[in-house]
Amino acid sequence: MRPPTSLKKEFLKKWIMGLQLCSSSKKEMSFLERKKAIKLSADVAMASARNATTRWSRALISNASKDDSNKGLVECILGPESESLKRASMSLVLCNKRNRSKKILRKSCSIRRARKSSSQMVMASSIAKRLVKKRTQVLKSLVPGGGSMSEFSLIEETLDYILSLRAQVDVMRHLANATELLNRK
Amino acid sequence: MSSRRSRSRQPGVSRISDDQIADLVSKLQQLIPEIRNRRSDKVSASKVLQETCNYIRNLHREVDDLSDRLSALLASTDTDSDQAAIIRSLLM
Repeated sequence: MRPPTSLKKEFLKKWIMGLQLCSSSKKEMSFLERKKAIKLSADVAMASARNATTRWSRALISNASKDDSNKGLVECILGPESESLKRASMSLVLCNKRNRSKKILRKSCSIRRARKSSSQMVMASSIAKRLVKKRTQVLKSLVPGGGSMSEFSLIEETLDYILSLRAQVDVMRHLANATELLNRK
Repeated sequence: MSSRRSRSRQPGVSRISDDQIADLVSKLQQLIPEIRNRRSDKVSASKVLQETCNYIRNLHREVDDLSDRLSALLASTDTDSDQAAIIRSLLM
């Protein structure tokens, strides 16, 4: 993965682009509108800084593009690569539908198998497995696009997602502190 | 590693070994400050997953709080090019 500082630079560039677009298009924004714009620009900027190399970033971008009011912003931040990125995100959505039907079939088979085991040892390990399963489900709901990933890719994506989120939070915090300092002068 | 222990159920995809998954989980362990600071090697997978989810939720909340803060701060000062240039030079 790229060194964190270049990721932060990429993110900052795209985020500021998005912010400028928002403030130029609407002069009078309510607090909530502005906050949503800031958050959305930040999320999309971070996702596009990963250049569609990760599934979570593609899922985030495709979710953001679904809303018509966000489309202009998303396209501006994505820039010239927007067409190819959108195509990549679209293919992800189609892939999800195929995987879901396979999963339903697999689940129905495994439920039948689980009822047979009854010994103590197997109980303990099956409880542990169920915990892991439950926690994995929660993690899938937190990582964008997580619903259609295998366990392995989910963990890989989580690693990348956490690193990106951390970089995003760092940059946002620095900007907030700097703006506060500037406003005081 | 017997084939029965393999977790991958997709035909045609190379079997992901338990070692690879354990490797990823340990990497995840390194990232999460809660677990890293506790200095114990034996952390169960479900604990790692739980702390990961909590960590991600915290990060989401921080992004939300920072967006709130920035929204209030930027209300008075528009992000015109001058300010953006100053901030960019401060951060790089």
